[in-house]
Amino acid sequence: MFKKSWLSRVGIMVIAALMVEAISVVQYQSLKGIMEQDMNIRSRIAMGASADRIGHVLELTEATMNENMLDVRRSLLRPDSIFRAIQYTIDDNPHIINGCIAFVPNYYHSKGYYFEPTVFKSGDGYIYKQLGSISHDYTSNPAYRRVIDSGEAYWSDPYIYNTGEEHISLITYTCPLVDNDGILAGAIGLDMEVSWLGDTLNNRQKNTASFLLLLTGDGKLVAAPSASRASQADVDEAVRLIGQGMDISADKRLAIRSITMKREPHWQVAQVYYTDEIFAPIRKMRRQHMVLIALGLAILFFMIDRFARSERKLREATAEQARISGELSVARDIQQEMLPKVFPPNIYGTIVPAREVGGDIFDFYVRDGKLFFCVGDVTGKGVPAAMLMSVVHSLFRTFSSRIDSPSFIVREINSQVCRGNDSYMFVTCLVGCLDLYTGKLEYCNAGHDKPFLLTSSADIMPLRSNLPMGCFPDFEYEEESCVLEPGTSIFLYTDGLTEARNAYKQFFGRDRVKSVLDACLAKPDATPEMMVNSLLDAAKVFMDKVPQSDDLTMLLIKYQPGELVRDQITLANETEEVERLGEFIKDYCNTLGLDKKIVSGIRLALEESVVNVINYAYPEQEKGYVTIYADSNREEVRFTIVDSGVPFNPKSVLSADTTLDALNRPIGGLGVHLTRKLMDSISYCRKDGKNVLSLTKTIV
Amino acid sequence: MKTTIQETDDKIVAILSGELDTAAAQETEQALQPLLDSKGKDVVIDCTELEYIASSGLRILLAILKQAKSVGSRVILKNVNDVIRDVLELTGFVSIFEFE
Repeated sequence: MFKKSWLSRVGIMVIAALMVEAISVVQYQSLKGIMEQDMNIRSRIAMGASADRIGHVLELTEATMNENMLDVRRSLLRPDSIFRAIQYTIDDNPHIINGCIAFVPNYYHSKGYYFEPTVFKSGDGYIYKQLGSISHDYTSNPAYRRVIDSGEAYWSDPYIYNTGEEHISLITYTCPLVDNDGILAGAIGLDMEVSWLGDTLNNRQKNTASFLLLLTGDGKLVAAPSASRASQADVDEAVRLIGQGMDISADKRLAIRSITMKREPHWQVAQVYYTDEIFAPIRKMRRQHMVLIALGLAILFFMIDRFARSERKLREATAEQARISGELSVARDIQQEMLPKVFPPNIYGTIVPAREVGGDIFDFYVRDGKLFFCVGDVTGKGVPAAMLMSVVHSLFRTFSSRIDSPSFIVREINSQVCRGNDSYMFVTCLVGCLDLYTGKLEYCNAGHDKPFLLTSSADIMPLRSNLPMGCFPDFEYEEESCVLEPGTSIFLYTDGLTEARNAYKQFFGRDRVKSVLDACLAKPDATPEMMVNSLLDAAKVFMDKVPQSDDLTMLLIKYQPGELVRDQITLANETEEVERLGEFIKDYCNTLGLDKKIVSGIRLALEESVVNVINYAYPEQEKGYVTIYADSNREEVRFTIVDSGVPFNPKSVLSADTTLDALNRPIGGLGVHLTRKLMDSISYCRKDGKNVLSLTKTIV
Repeated sequence: MKTTIQETDDKIVAILSGELDTAAAQETEQALQPLLDSKGKDVVIDCTELEYIASSGLRILLAILKQAKSVGSRVILKNVNDVIRDVLELTGFVSIFEFE
């Protein structure tokens, strides 16, 4: 995993680097393009100016020729004055170092076949020489031939001339010489030194990044700057490149621009750039870019790394959250599993948790003709509250299965909750026990919201609050009781209902609960389920879109005992009374129309239990009584045997072993065994100094 | 509760009639004293008219059975109705008595 993410990070970096580099290259190239354009314009200007200057120099030489042509022509009449005429001519122009006239052969018979009077500048003086001879056959000179043949002036290519002291670069301007008779006498040539042109061309170029060259039309070097400006190797390289026609490339070390002079002899002016120097600024800029980019990428890498790390953490956190919420949903399922899901027509309850799991609970179940129920709320929400609530739930089930008194149930749960309650979580709870035959409701409130009693209207029950469970282990929770008339209901809830808030921070409140319940009571056929759902709907409408902040729990129990048949008898603690008991049972059961066999079984069970009381509850010779209450709702029959004798729980007695053979059987112990076998459930409690034993039998 | 004892050469027959509840148990136990001295004769308890029996009645039957067994006599319950038989089954008495 680490390696993979590292690789992907490097991948991102490489892509980023390539992108930035691409941008840099494009930028560099476009800048370079702009610079090259600029260079083209500048060099065109510079080369144009140089061409003009060179043209001017050449024009001067041509002018010198023209101005002196009349004098030279005149001098032809007197051949001895020709030298002087040439001297005057070359004297007029400091660039001209030699002048000569190559006469057509035998122009002057006196001078022989070849005649070429030449004047050299030498220091402050002049040297006159006649150069023409068989060994110096100027008639074969291309320049001479060209001028004689075409009759037009001609600029020669440059050439190296040895003065005897040094080698210098010369060019020659040659014109046809026509005498006064109109006859072509020869060619007059003026040699001009051009070595200086190179420096002259370049002395205006202050920038050392380039130099100017002068070349003939076919690429022969005419003038170059001095070695201090450009090395001979660079000049040769440039000349070679121009010869190859590569004159604009900026990719090589040397970049060259050139123009051709518009006038004769159509030389080229070339500007040679050292690209290194020309592009140095943008190369420097690019180097700086590279440094900045590298720096940027390093920062980017750091950021990506940080991002990747935090993203991984986030992903881990998300996975953790998903796991927790998965577990929470399991917890919620477990919690929901424990709640009553099947409701008889007279009871309905619901929990709407605020989070995945809640700290609310409700429960109810019937044991021995009594409905045990509870509604509770743990301080706080979420998993800790739900866990504590689950504990309270199972404690309620455990204790209420063997204790009938709600206050005792609450005391037992409280002492358990207080044990190890280091986090000081409280539980408000209301535990109740409704005798389904008598309508007697016994309840104990551990700091819970006061329930509504629903008769013809909904009213808060004025009950004692006591303390929430979890405060003091020894707190004496007090029990209260009332008797419900058939048809009345009790509505229990948690503060999630009354403290549901709307967008204006208002509470739903008891008044709204009351008005919804009153509206329901006005309808004669309103069932507990309808009433609870009406309240739930009203609460939802009230909250609108405000999220539910606390668990919302409701439980509505309607006391609907059905067709009750009740009777009772009180017997003295004398064996003879058993006969009255038998008659009582038979009469009561006959009223219910029970089968003879069932009646006999019930009678036997009751007799065994009552005889036990008669024989053992009271000390010998002491008068005592036992009262038997008979209740039935046509589905089951319940007999409650109450005496004020010594505490005795028949459930704690072991059953007789009915598998032993005759000789080994004890004489007693059969009564309890028979009672257990004959009845469907037996419960015992000690209450108000009395033994209360309930025997229940289903009769449908 | 009515108890009648008829003794012949080879057996003693006790006819129980009515309801043998706890109240009647003491009186019935007295009446059935001869059965505790069976002298080797088989004991037949005619339950044709016995309608009800409580555990105190069962105790009497068990005492008779134990005594008879000790002298090698048989105890036979005769014409037991369904109600009584249920009680005998619940207590496991069906496996220790003989029925006719």
